[in-house]
Amino acid sequence: MRRKSLLCIVAALAVCLLLASGGAGQARAAEPYKLGVALAITGTGALYCKDGVDAIKLAVDEINAKGGFLGKHPIEVFIRDTHTKPDAAVRATRDLILRDKARTVLGTYSSACAVAIKPVCQEYKVLHIPAISNSEGITLTNFSPYTYQVVPNSYMQAKAVVLGVAALAKKKGWKTYATIASDYEWGRSTQQNTVALLKELAPELKLVKEFWPPLGETQFTSYITAIMAQKPDFVIGSIASKDNVAWMKQAKAYGFFKKIPYPGSLISVTELILQAKSLDRGLVGLCRAPFFAHLDQPMMANFVKAFKKKYNRYPSDWAVMEYDAVYALKQGIDKANSIDTEKVKAALKGATIDTTRGKLSFRNIDNQLGCSSYLGVVADDPKYPFPIYHDLVEVKGPDSWRPEKEIIAARAAEKKK
Amino acid sequence: MDLSLLFAQALSGLSRGMMLFLIASGLSLIFGVMNILNFAHATLWLVGAYACYTFWFLLQNHDFAVWLAIPLAALSVALVGWVIEVVLIRRVYERELPEQLLLTYALVLILGDLIKITWGVDDKLITRPAMLSEPVYLAGVPIDSYFIFVIAVGFAVYLALWWFLQKTRYGHIVRAAVFSREMVSALGIPIPIIYTGVFVLGIFIAGLAGAIQGPVGSVTLGMDMAVVIQAFCVVIIGGFGSLPGTMVSSIIVGEVYAFAILFWPGGALALIFILTAIVLIVRPWGLFGTPLRA
Repeated sequence: MRRKSLLCIVAALAVCLLLASGGAGQARAAEPYKLGVALAITGTGALYCKDGVDAIKLAVDEINAKGGFLGKHPIEVFIRDTHTKPDAAVRATRDLILRDKARTVLGTYSSACAVAIKPVCQEYKVLHIPAISNSEGITLTNFSPYTYQVVPNSYMQAKAVVLGVAALAKKKGWKTYATIASDYEWGRSTQQNTVALLKELAPELKLVKEFWPPLGETQFTSYITAIMAQKPDFVIGSIASKDNVAWMKQAKAYGFFKKIPYPGSLISVTELILQAKSLDRGLVGLCRAPFFAHLDQPMMANFVKAFKKKYNRYPSDWAVMEYDAVYALKQGIDKANSIDTEKVKAALKGATIDTTRGKLSFRNIDNQLGCSSYLGVVADDPKYPFPIYHDLVEVKGPDSWRPEKEIIAARAAEKKK
Repeated sequence: MDLSLLFAQALSGLSRGMMLFLIASGLSLIFGVMNILNFAHATLWLVGAYACYTFWFLLQNHDFAVWLAIPLAALSVALVGWVIEVVLIRRVYERELPEQLLLTYALVLILGDLIKITWGVDDKLITRPAMLSEPVYLAGVPIDSYFIFVIAVGFAVYLALWWFLQKTRYGHIVRAAVFSREMVSALGIPIPIIYTGVFVLGIFIAGLAGAIQGPVGSVTLGMDMAVVIQAFCVVIIGGFGSLPGTMVSSIIVGEVYAFAILFWPGGALALIFILTAIVLIVRPWGLFGTPLRA
């Protein structure tokens, strides 16, 4: 009796094992690729992220229509909400990796979230592709070999403003400018670098006056009227975070930006579309990936057409970059000829990939894509129901990113700490 | 340089001056009547700004949010001022100035930490009502419409204080207490109640000024320290305890700053301190103060 039951158990176990191994074998044959998306579905970032999610879905549909990655791994998308909060982003990422078994996490919206999830992805050896957030800190220090950045980072964008302004000044015939910078180390050095660079690039530009509000200044009215009195062709500002809020708020209330170009504010395609009526024409804006800059690229033209067809609207910068993120991953997988994360990671290292923004390469030292920043003058265009950038200046990634020796120095300083 | 630009600069200087007046008037009043140098005045001003944020946040779905948040914030700060007077300040009236300074400076630190605990370290933003987000043009010169409101409140507070001190019975008692608290006391008037009233009034104005500051930029930690020194300069130049003095010196400081920015941007802040130093050397009791009290 006892022996019989034991035999039964053994037999049952054997069947189970057989079934299990057989099942697993079957799954391996057409193993789906689990793609995690950690974006802000709710909270302040929701506006930008909706476009990003839609673009990801579009790219995934396109790839799945051809059988998935490598033609045999259909992509399954798992989307989790970061609520635009670092702690929630970390939870979302853990869930994506541990519960959903994601091999890659696309995200996030805020740089604080991106910096927070970077070590989580590294710990679990999962690829991380930020495609909206762009703090330089994501790639500069605490470097993770699993993180590939497809957004022009904050350093590149700041540098691009100066390079772009020099180019725009030539186009627009600007002669004079003024600076306003917080009176302390960062403000002083940023202002000095900007002025020196402008002198080199556009020697005909004349700096008419420098303004130095003390750090912690709460009322900028006198600076605003004083700058307006100088009537410069444009103004460059380097004001620290909370002071910048006060400055921007008050300058806007003075109608300052309507009168004097103040290059450097981020005006993405989202703002161009949403504020089509109220946005002041003539503003000099900065953006990260405007579709209209690259319609000559077949990939971009097709993307815009498909996006418009599916969602009945134009894609924003965020849509463009998330779409590129999926295709960057695809090309890594193609090159590795495997969905194995380590192999894909190695394949992407220093890779040159096709994007909607043209052929771009990842830099070896920090996995930063050499993507451009764009500066232009907000103006109406008969082709679109919203204003776009005219006098568009494209500043290439390799012209604007931080020199490698500075990155090495920053990482050495970090190690010492 | 044409005239309209100078006018624009003068207006911006005036708005700056009014902001300073709102902070300095309470400081001056408290010192003038109670002989207490309240170092924590600007910190209570900051509490007003944070309180304004909280009330605005709770009411933000209504158009009147900011307009209701400002008086509510001022009243809450007045309440805090009352507690501080009854619990702490009352005990140091008879003490030496250094001890009073030590107490009020300790209050700066304690209130600063309490702000951090209550509101966190993030900057707080109060969105302005739509009607105040566009500039107003005076004789072709743009001015931030919110600052017209600030200037109006500055003058209103000045007039109200002047009326209170000159025309009401309580105002007379307060002014009498400035000269001789013994005499006032001998007449059977309870000095502690008068003192509490004056302190709460001064702090109420500080809270009001802070609440009005709220929507100007963002509300952040450490804002009080940037402001307290300038408020002291105003009070020193105008003369401690003198209401007209505080008004005149606020406008002087605001305008000097505004025009320095126009002609000598690097030295704007230095000029204020040079002015203060000159007043301290030539006329230590300030432009409108009386040497007797020194």
